[in-house]
Amino acid sequence: MAIALDRPRVASRSARTVRIRRAVGLALTWVTIVVALVFFLGPFFWILTTSVKANEDYFAYPPVWVPADASLKHYAGLFTRSSGARYFTNSLMISTLSMVAALLVSLPTAYSIARWRFGGGFLSMVLLVLRMLPAIALIIPLYIMYKLLGLTNSYLGLVIVYTVLYVPFAVWLLVGFLRDFPVEIEEAALIDGCSRLRALVAVVVPIIAPGLAVVALFSFIATWNEFLFAIVLTGIETKTMMVLVTSFTSGGTDMFYGEASASVVLGVLPAFVVAFMLQRYLVKGLALGGTKG
Amino acid sequence: MRVGALVLPRKRWEPFAFASPSLVLIAIVIIFPLAYSFWLSFRNFDLSVGPESEFVGGANYVEALIRDSRFVNSIWNTAIIIGPSLVLELLVGLGLALLLSRIGRGRPIITALLAIPAMVSPVMAAMAWRMMFGVKYGAINNLGRQLGVIDVYFDWFSSPFISIVAIVLVEVWHNTAFMMLVLLAGLQSIPQELYDAGKADGAEGWRSFWYITLPLLKFTMMVGLMIRLIDLTKLFGLIFVLTFGGPGGTTETVAFSTYLAGFNDFRMSYAAALSYIIVGGVLALTLVFMWVQRIREMRAA
Repeated sequence: MAIALDRPRVASRSARTVRIRRAVGLALTWVTIVVALVFFLGPFFWILTTSVKANEDYFAYPPVWVPADASLKHYAGLFTRSSGARYFTNSLMISTLSMVAALLVSLPTAYSIARWRFGGGFLSMVLLVLRMLPAIALIIPLYIMYKLLGLTNSYLGLVIVYTVLYVPFAVWLLVGFLRDFPVEIEEAALIDGCSRLRALVAVVVPIIAPGLAVVALFSFIATWNEFLFAIVLTGIETKTMMVLVTSFTSGGTDMFYGEASASVVLGVLPAFVVAFMLQRYLVKGLALGGTKG
Repeated sequence: MRVGALVLPRKRWEPFAFASPSLVLIAIVIIFPLAYSFWLSFRNFDLSVGPESEFVGGANYVEALIRDSRFVNSIWNTAIIIGPSLVLELLVGLGLALLLSRIGRGRPIITALLAIPAMVSPVMAAMAWRMMFGVKYGAINNLGRQLGVIDVYFDWFSSPFISIVAIVLVEVWHNTAFMMLVLLAGLQSIPQELYDAGKADGAEGWRSFWYITLPLLKFTMMVGLMIRLIDLTKLFGLIFVLTFGGPGGTTETVAFSTYLAGFNDFRMSYAAALSYIIVGGVLALTLVFMWVQRIREMRAA
């Protein structure tokens, strides 16, 4: 009898310890996640507050972590004194043009691979080689060629490189989207007398538009982030944000913090947008080097 | 066979016409320059001397690997940065992926937030951290002083060892998210039934991690490590901003010292030879990695 009474009590106690252990585990999980968030996002927070601090806040001790009154003075200084407006526009123009060009070039190629089972093996080989190829191996001959052709310090020069570097990645993603597309719709258009090209533009493109947007955003951010080709191939008029930001390091360890941090804020803006818009594709994009250019 | 394919016979030129723009561009902008660079690496083209150059055989390669202690050192520097970075990225990334796989609500948003550093360019990441490491105005010295951990303004880039530590820290901050995303995807592809079956056999907690999760995650880990390894051999922007190779060249990576040979000293042929040594090194690393994988698989089988 006593044993029979004892049993359920033991069971309920162990159920309680299990519950407590689970709650503690969950609490620890969340504490660790919060610590990770502080480590990974803290620098962004600090850069943002630094960019809106007043000059005297930099010297203050105890340090000012969150400025009492934010000012956009450093952004104004960056845009006027450091020609930030021009370099920001350069980055926007070069990234947008490369994005459009990469889509225009890679869509027909992706279409030919998806529809005719043509060159897929060759493409994946090119993709693999490009993924491994250090950019430094390409920049040396390209610099000499560009010097000869007068393509350095021009939008066109950078846009050509970025487009080509991005094509294999764009094709690879687009082939996936195109294979999911029902061939029947397209064939109906072909039977109605459309040419292949017209069917692609008028029928396929509107339907795979979301896929095109994914590729476009990845190519935009890859171009935006690219540094090696930008610093070698641009001149005073065509510098991008990535090149501009390095110019602030000449001030030694304590450079001019206001404009430097403002330029970092502007430089990382697209990353925030893309991280949220492309959540589902982040692994694919990062694995293929889609954000590094 | 599809009806459409019968009705509309394929025109032979069409696949080529559709693919030609990108093939032509790849040939002109990638393949030709690489071939040109290979040819160049056997000459002595130097922009600071003049446009003339002559064939010198393998002299550039010999110089790089035997006489140029700067380049040989940069190989060691790169290895010293890669080793701890890979280990830390794998461990922290695995830890975060395991944590994320345990929470339900809020997972997508937290994953996206943690992934942001990996979307930022290396230059911007390095710039943010360089300012954080700043001697007088930097967040790290100021926080350390406020908490009473340090009592002087510390210069984080004055000694080679601490510079390397700082570079590894920034690199881990920058790219751990990639490992985390890859491993999270790997974790989610492990079927729940295996854990249920393991539970029935008494495998819970650590044991289920050791005997179920880890073996099934091994392949994903290898792929992630391989990609990170290849990317780390290209380490350039981070170094350019954080240390510019200093102090005294102790943090120059292979990509950075090749850049200096080409665009500081203008020895184009020599830089081309260096870049081909890097290509060869990366290729060898990849092959060794694949070979080790294969042997392991054969042993397991």
